[in-house]
Amino acid sequence: MASVKAPQQKVILCGEYGVGKSSLFRRYAFNTFVSSNNRKSTLGLDHFNKEYNFKGKNIKLQLWDTGGMERVASITSSYYKFAEAAILVFSLDNPASFHILSQHLLDIVTYAENAKIFLCGNKSDLVTQAPQVTDADMDNFCEQCHNLISVTYKTSCKTGEGVEEMFADIAQHLVTSNRSRIELQQLTEDDNQQQQNSFKVSLPEESLEPPCLC
Amino acid sequence: MDEEYDAIVLGTGLKECILSGMLSVSGKKVLHIDRNQYYGGDCASITPLEELFARYKSPPPGEQYGRGRDWNVDLIPKFLMANGLLVKLLIHTGVTRYLEFKSVEGSYVYKGGKISKVPVDQKEALASDLMGMFEKRRFRNFLVFVQDVKEDDPRTWKDLDPTNTTTQQLYTKFGLDKNTQDFTGHALALYRDDDYLNEPAMTTIKRIKLYSDSLARYGKSPYLYPMYGLGELPQGFARLSAIYGGTYMLDKPVDEIVLENGRVVGIRSGNEVAKCKQVYCDPSYVPDRVKKVGQVIRCICLMDHPIPNTKDALSTQIIIPQKQVNRRSDIYVSQVSYTHQVAAKGWFIAMVSTTVETSNPEEEIKPGLDLLGPITNKFVTVSDYFEPTDLGGESGIFISESYDATTHFETTCLDVLNIFKRGTGEEFDFSKVKHELGDEEQ
Repeated sequence: MASVKAPQQKVILCGEYGVGKSSLFRRYAFNTFVSSNNRKSTLGLDHFNKEYNFKGKNIKLQLWDTGGMERVASITSSYYKFAEAAILVFSLDNPASFHILSQHLLDIVTYAENAKIFLCGNKSDLVTQAPQVTDADMDNFCEQCHNLISVTYKTSCKTGEGVEEMFADIAQHLVTSNRSRIELQQLTEDDNQQQQNSFKVSLPEESLEPPCLC
Repeated sequence: MDEEYDAIVLGTGLKECILSGMLSVSGKKVLHIDRNQYYGGDCASITPLEELFARYKSPPPGEQYGRGRDWNVDLIPKFLMANGLLVKLLIHTGVTRYLEFKSVEGSYVYKGGKISKVPVDQKEALASDLMGMFEKRRFRNFLVFVQDVKEDDPRTWKDLDPTNTTTQQLYTKFGLDKNTQDFTGHALALYRDDDYLNEPAMTTIKRIKLYSDSLARYGKSPYLYPMYGLGELPQGFARLSAIYGGTYMLDKPVDEIVLENGRVVGIRSGNEVAKCKQVYCDPSYVPDRVKKVGQVIRCICLMDHPIPNTKDALSTQIIIPQKQVNRRSDIYVSQVSYTHQVAAKGWFIAMVSTTVETSNPEEEIKPGLDLLGPITNKFVTVSDYFEPTDLGGESGIFISESYDATTHFETTCLDVLNIFKRGTGEEFDFSKVKHELGDEEQ
C-alpha cells in the first residue's frame, strides 16, 4: 500500500494580471527575475515540479501559472481542478489588486473546493513608509473570508525575499494536512472497491510496433 | 483587441480549441473569441445543474439531485478511443497533463431486444452469446486474420488483397452471417450505416484494429472518458494555445466578419476591429457559408441507477446497429456517472443519440430509451448538422463541420487536421511542439 513516490500536489497561482504571478513562478522554478519591460508576458510558463522535505517526509509541489488567461478574465475552470492549494497573489503597491481578491477567492472555492488557500502580498520591495495595503487590511480580509485562508506571506520577486520561504512553508502545510487526507481517502476507497482510479494518458510502454527486420 | 493577428478563431468548441492550439504552437499570433461567457460552445459540460435545467426551460431541479455544482453535463456524448487520434493529439501537444481519464467499463451491442458484451478477442468470441457454435469459429478465424494483417506487408494478406476487395467480399470469404457482419461493422469497426460494405476491406480492417488496439491499452473497453466531463478537453487545448501566446476573450459578440475583395481582413465587435489574415470558426459564426446536411437527436437522461443488464457498470456504451431496429443509421447509448465527477453522488447520466431519419425523431430513439430503466428527467435536443460551403481558399475563412452522431472523436480530429491543412497548406507537424513547458511527467 505504501508508496515510495513523493505525493504530488498541484498548487495554483491566482490574482489579477500584473501582480507578479509569473515572477513568483520564475523565482520558484529558476530563481530568476525578469523585469516587466524585458519580457513578453507569461509566454511558455506552464507548470513546474519541485521536491520539498519536511521532517523526513517528501512532498512534490507542482506549481501552475495561469498562462496569462486572466488578462481578459477568462481562466478556464479546469485550471482549478485537482488543485490542492491556491495562492492568492496581489501587489502590495496596488490596492485595487487586493480589493478584487474576493472575486478570485470565489472562483477557487467554486472550482477547487478542497484547496488550501494562502495569501501573498508581492512586490514588498516597492512598499514605502505608508503602505498601500496594511497588515491590518490583510488580517481583516482573512477574517471576512471565515478563515478560509491558512497563512499570509509577503514576498519580493525582485529581491527574492520571502519567496522560497513561502513555498517551503506551503509544502509543510500540505504535508501536515496531507496525512489526514490520505488516511481519509483510504477509508473511502475501502468503501467502493470496484471504483478504479483516474489516470493520465501517455505513450504505450513498448511504443509503436517492433521495427521490421526485412 | 485592436491589433493585427495571423489568425482569429471564433468559438471555443473542441475543434476550434485544437486548431487554436495547433496554430499557436506553429508560431502564429492567435486571437480566440467566444460569444459565450464559458469555454466549450456545444462541447461544454454544463454546470451547475440549475444551468442545464434553465437551458431547457425546465423548472429548477429539486433537492433529490444533490448539489448543483457537482454536476457537469455534456451536451454532446462522445468517448475517446484509447489508441485514437485525439489521444495522439493530447500526448503530442502535452495537453494530456491537464486531464485525467477513466476507462469506460463496458461496451455492449444490441441484438434481438437484449444487449450483449462486444466480443473482441478470440476468447470472448468463443464465449459470446451473439453467435451460434459454428459461426463463432468463423468469427474467430476472421479476427485472427484481421489481427495479423499489416497494411504494408502483402505476405500477411493471405490470398486476399484487402486494398482491392470490398468489405462485403471479405465477410463472404470468411462466411460470416448477416448478424455477425452487423455487429462487426457497427460495434467493432464503428460504422454508422451500411455504406461501408462497398468500401475497401483494408479500411474496415484498420478500424477493427483501432478498436482492439484501443482495448489493449487500458483494459475493459476501448474507450476513455475525462474526469469532470468532455468540457475539459477544449479547455485543455485553450490553455495550450494561451501558453504559446494565444489571446483569449470570452463573452465577446462578433458583429461582422470584415472582408475586402472577398477576402477576410478582420472581425468587428461593437466599435472594435481586430485585423487578421485568416478566420477559423464553427458554423454558427458564418450561417451564410454553411449548408444544412442533416440533423442529430441527442437525449440527456438523468437517472439514479446504472443501465440494467450491464453488471452495474459505472460507465457504458451500447450500440444498436441500424438493422436491428429497421433503420439506416445506428442508435448510440452512452452512460457515465458520479464517479467521473459529472453528477452528484449516486447519479448517472445516460445519453441516447442518432442521426435523424424521420419527422418524429423522439420516436426514433425509443429503442435506446427502453434499455435505460426508469429515467428521472430527460432533455431532448435536435440539432442541425452543417457542412461548410466555403472551403476557405478564396476567403481565408476556415469552417468546421458540426459534431456528428459518432460516439468517438475520430471524425472530429480528421476534420481538424483537414482544416489545418487547408488553412496552412501543410500537415500538422507534431514535432513542432517542444516539451519544455515546465517539468515533464515521468
